[in-house]
This record gives sequence, C-alpha cells and structure tokens, in this order.
Amino acid sequence: MKKKLITVLTTVTMLSAILSACGGNKNEAAPSTSPSPSPSESSSPSPSDTPSSPAAVERFDVSLRHIQVGELQRFRKAILDEVVKKSEAEVPGAKFEMDAIEDSFNRWTKLPAEMAAGNPPKIFDLFGGPAEGQKYARANKLLDLTPILDELGIKDKFTDYSTFVVDGKVYGLPIGAGSEGWFYNSDILKANNIEVPKTLDELEAAFETLKGKGITPIAMGSQAAWVPFMLINTLISRYAGPDIQAGVADGSRKMTEPEVVAAFAKYGEWVKKGYFTKGELGIDYTGQTNEFIAGKAGFLFDGTWRISTFNEDGTGKALHGKVGYFAMPAVSGGKGDQTAVNYNQNNGYGFSSDVNDNEKAAIKAFIKNLYSEEYQARGFKEDGVLPSMKVDPAKLTSDNPIMSEVLASNAAAGTVFPHFDSLVPGPVNGEFEKQIQNLIAGKASPEKAADEIQKVMDSELAALK
Amino acid sequence: MNKTLRNPYVYLLFVLPTIGLYFLFFIYPVLQSVFYGLTDWDGLTPAKYIGLGNFEKAFKDDDFWISVKNNMYFILFSVFVQVPLIICFSLLISGVKRFQGFYKTTVFLPSILSTSIIGILWQFMYHPSIGLFNKFLGWFGVEPIYWLADPKWAMLSILITNAWQWMGFYIVLVLAAILAIPKEINEAAEIDGATGFQRAYRITTPLIMPIISVVIMLSIAGAMRVVDIVLVMTKGGPAGATEVMASYMVNKAIKYGQYGYGTALSIMIFAIALLLTALYQIAFARRQERVEY
Repeated sequence: MKKKLITVLTTVTMLSAILSACGGNKNEAAPSTSPSPSPSESSSPSPSDTPSSPAAVERFDVSLRHIQVGELQRFRKAILDEVVKKSEAEVPGAKFEMDAIEDSFNRWTKLPAEMAAGNPPKIFDLFGGPAEGQKYARANKLLDLTPILDELGIKDKFTDYSTFVVDGKVYGLPIGAGSEGWFYNSDILKANNIEVPKTLDELEAAFETLKGKGITPIAMGSQAAWVPFMLINTLISRYAGPDIQAGVADGSRKMTEPEVVAAFAKYGEWVKKGYFTKGELGIDYTGQTNEFIAGKAGFLFDGTWRISTFNEDGTGKALHGKVGYFAMPAVSGGKGDQTAVNYNQNNGYGFSSDVNDNEKAAIKAFIKNLYSEEYQARGFKEDGVLPSMKVDPAKLTSDNPIMSEVLASNAAAGTVFPHFDSLVPGPVNGEFEKQIQNLIAGKASPEKAADEIQKVMDSELAALK
Repeated sequence: MNKTLRNPYVYLLFVLPTIGLYFLFFIYPVLQSVFYGLTDWDGLTPAKYIGLGNFEKAFKDDDFWISVKNNMYFILFSVFVQVPLIICFSLLISGVKRFQGFYKTTVFLPSILSTSIIGILWQFMYHPSIGLFNKFLGWFGVEPIYWLADPKWAMLSILITNAWQWMGFYIVLVLAAILAIPKEINEAAEIDGATGFQRAYRITTPLIMPIISVVIMLSIAGAMRVVDIVLVMTKGGPAGATEVMASYMVNKAIKYGQYGYGTALSIMIFAIALLLTALYQIAFARRQERVEY
C-alpha cells in the first residue's frame, strides 16, 4: 500500500511539474494580431497606471527598423528622428523603438527571416517588386495602406508606387526616388585635360587617359553585386532600350538578345582593360565611396542619394565643389531612346499586418508626418533624394550644383527606365548578381552570363503559369 | 521504497522528462526538417509536398557542389597542414624549459577571440596596399596580391586565418597529452642514445596518437560546419570562390526564400558530415590501439 502511495505521489508530482512548465497564462499569450479594443491591452503597461485615473495613457512600443546607419546617412536619420518625435507627440503613449540595421543585411537576411517567422517589426524599411514587397503582401504579411492613404488624402500625391501594389492595394510607400549616373572628380579631369564626356567614345577615351596616368578610372566595390549591377542595368538599357527591364520581367524580351549581350560584353571589356578599382571583388560599397572621396578615382557610377556626401559638411567634404554629374552617354547603334535615365522609386517603408489599433494609430501618424511635402523637399535639399511625391516645383530648388546637373539631366530625358531588381523575381535577381560577379572574375563570358540569367527567368515564368 | 525502485516503470517515469525534452528539442526538429525538405516551402505560404524534388535539384546544383568542394579544402588543409603543425608546435612547446605557460597562453589566445575580430584583423593584414603581407612581399619586389579579392587566393587566405584561429586550442590539447607521458620513457630513450628528433618521432608521437585522432576528428567536424569566418571575411566571394555549404544553404533559404530547398541542403550536409566522420572512424580511429604507459 505504502509503495503504491509513493508511486502515485511521485507520478502526480512529476506530471504536475511538467504540466505547470508547459502551461502558460492565456492572457499573456494572447496574440496581438487582432486590433485591441483599448489602450489597456497595449504591449507595455505603465506601472503608475491606476483604475481611478482614466486619463492616464499607457505606453506602447512601436518597433521601427531603418537603414540610416553611419555618417553617410546622417541627414536622412535626422529627418527620421524628427518624424518619430512628432508622431510620438501626436499619439499618446506611443514610443517608437528604433532599430538601425545595415541596408543589405536587413533586406536579404533579417527581414526575410522575420517574415518567415511571422515577427517583423511594425514599421520597416522595405523594397518593392515581386522579390520583396509584393511577395510579402501576397502572404498577408503587410498592412494594406489603402484606407490610411484615403483617410489622409495623400493617395494621389505619390508619383509612382506601383512596385508596392498588389491587386490594386497599396502595401508600401517609396520614401524617395533616385537616378543612377556618373559622378566625376572635376579636379582630376581638369588636371588630365579631359572634358566632361558627351558620348560613350569620349567616356572610354577618358578612362584610357586616366589609366595611362596611373589613376583608377572608375571607383568600384563589387563585393556586393548590387553595386556593379547599377552600371550594368544602365548599360543594358542603353544597348537594348529603356523597355528591356519590363520586357524581360514579363517574358516579351530576352536576356539573350544580342543588344543585352553587347552590354555585358562592354562591361567585361572595361574589366579586362582595368578601368575599375583593382581588387574590386573584395571592396564593399563604402570602400568604393571612400576611394572616390580620397581622390583616387576619376569617375563613380552611383545613385543620386550620394550627392549629400559631397556637401560642405558631408563625409566627402574634401571634394565639395569638385564633383559633377552626367547621365550615361548615348551608345551609337543602341536601341530606343538614348536620353532615357534610370529612375527608381522602389525603396521606402512597409508596415506589419500584425498590429493593434494603437499601433495602427502610430503608423498613421508616422505616414502623415513622413510623407509630407516638407520632408520630401528637405530630403531633396539636404540629402539629394529626389521626391517620390508631387511637390510644388517652387520648393524643389537647389543651390547644390550636383543636384542642378541631376535635374537638368533628368529634365532632358525622353523617358525613364527602372532597375531590374524592382521587376524580376528574387531568384532571377540572385542569378543576375552571381553572373555579374562571374563576369568580373572572368568566370563567365557575356553570352553565358546572359544565357544563365534567361534560364532562371524562363523557369520563374513557367512556374507562374 | 526499495520495492518501488525495483519496479521498472518507476525508472521509466524518471527518464520521461528527459526523453520528452530530447524529443522536443532534437527529434522533433529533425523530423520537421525532413518534412520541409520534401516540400517547396517558401517561408511565407503553406508548404506543398514535392517528394524528392529538392534533393534532385541539389544533385544537379553545381554551385552547391562547389561549396562542398570548398568544405573539402577545409578538411584537407586541417588534416594535412594544420594537424602536422599542431604536433610540431606542441612538441616544441613541451620541450621549452622556461616561460612554457607564456607560450601556452599565447597560442591559445586566438581561440578565445571572436571570429568577427579575427576576420577584421586578418582583413587588415591581407589589405592589398597597407596589409602586412603585401608590405613584406613588396620588399622582394612582388606585385600586390589581392588576397581576399582574387578567386585564386581567397580560399587559401581564409584557410590560413581559420587555421590560426583554431590551432592554439588543439595545441593545448596535444600538449596536455605530451606532458602526461611519464618522463622515464623519454629519459630511458635518451640514455639509450636517441636524438631529440628520434624521441619525438618514435616515442612521443606514437604515444599521443589517440589525442591526435581526436584532434583530426574535431578538425573534420569543424571544417564541415565552418561558416562564420567566411561570412566575416569574404561573404562567400569573390564570385562564390569561398562559398561553403552552410553559407550557401543560408543564402538559399533566407535570401531567396527557398526554405524547402535550404532544408533539403541542410539534410544533405548532415548526411555528408555523418558519412565522412563514419569513414574516418572505420578507416583510422578504430585501428588505434589503447596506449598503456
């Protein structure tokens, strides 16, 4: 009898220990997916709150992931800080928890993993297109912003947010726009009697002259393939026409067309002639910028977001007043409009679909404050970010000579073309990056690179059907 | 009470929590991995069963096999370069009469440093223009080598850094084994006229074979799961030249959202690691005789 009692007691003790460990407070485990009816269900209650003080507001956190890291991004970080401050003041109890992460790590590692795990931040930096924003939207991970935009009355204020749209609903908002083109060091050009190139031949002659003098013609850091991809994207458009990106994405055009191969061949030729930074495959994007700032290279192919670097108080102040900009010159025999410029509005903010009423209110305030004419104009003036919204042209004046050149170059353009990464699926973008690096390393011929990319595109298109 | 403990079910009751935890944190994830490896799961939408499609794809995936080859370089470098050096350094340090503790600490130091620090430190040393190696080679008129940017050199550069990081740890293991050998054996050999080299080669090394076997085993296991040093130094570049199995798998799963394929790759990596260690055990480790002093 006694031993049975001991056995039973042992069993009961063990089972209760296991069950108590496995159990949980249902209230604690309540998901935050459903809109909370009152602020009292917010994530972090204030300890001072008492039932007798209905006016007291409980604090709740709103996680905000941004990519404004380091000195190069300080102007945009300042704008973000102001917007957060304003939004916190407008929404009682809201506390934005800022989480700064380097761009490509957020884009390719952290955010995708969080999306799969179902715990992305409430507000986060997001790229549009089928590989990212549209994919997350289709999986119901993103907040449908259409009602918020309607309520705030800013739906028609954006120039183009198409890469964030799925089935007519808006899931992300571009923070700005950017063009990609040639920056040049005017001191180096002058010292070597080089005029600002107007044609591709002149540009190549300039590269040859600089190389002959022992100066790196083009600063390039290809450790991350998206960096050389900017130049290749523009070269492909020059050779194959500004509609090539959309054509390849919808299957009506092919990467194997001779014009596309010619663009790859031109890039490969520049690599072989040694026009790019030596050891470029081991240099990152910051290293590329630093090489140009240090005055070691004559040209830099980059986005207009780089303009503020050369401001009087920018990290590249050594080159203040010595940097010029021009769009990729025309290619003789190139297809389509040779004045077309690259124009991207593919980066901005997205918002988690897993938010309660409080968080939604904070998101609305954030959108209202950030996507305003004031900050669009400031982003343009302080940081060289072209507006993604319709802004009074009178407010878009700039004393910055580089910005004036960008505006003139864009005004002269007959049309614009996007970047491949905003239109093609993720695996195709990945193949692009792989083949570009193979081309640089001499491991792939232009024909093979184009062919391999097309193969992946074909299989993606077949999967869609 | 004694009678209670004679009841086998009581013991079963005691091990149940452990079995439960083991199942929850080991068996269940493994089974789940196998399940996802048979699907086209993208991490966002419900998984669809595709049979062995992912494994077929992996067998045809040239890039995956390049990464397997790169892991093999790690194994070969560990076994044929690192282990002999570990033995040499251990023998040298064991023979040192003064400051032995200093040498032991110095060689052990890299293995307690974080891989990020080591990666960045060596990136400076490999820097094409200001790096230690190119400065040194420059004195002899050698043109700058792009250690981490040239596909020809990048792998070797990482192998050297990885070896530097882990050699100290193994040296301390081997050193402990050497110092545990009774002094009389070496003294007797010395009296019999054996030279230092003969004693090291004929007496010490055979006596520490069991620990060397463990070191080789650990090196193989370490080489199979190497990834951190690669991510810090080259991120798998230049042009995929230093991509290893783990970094390739993470890229496929997370960057491109091919979780099903990534999981299938992880199962293949597990199988390859299992196969290699089993082969080593069968071919070499089992043949070792027990050392009795």
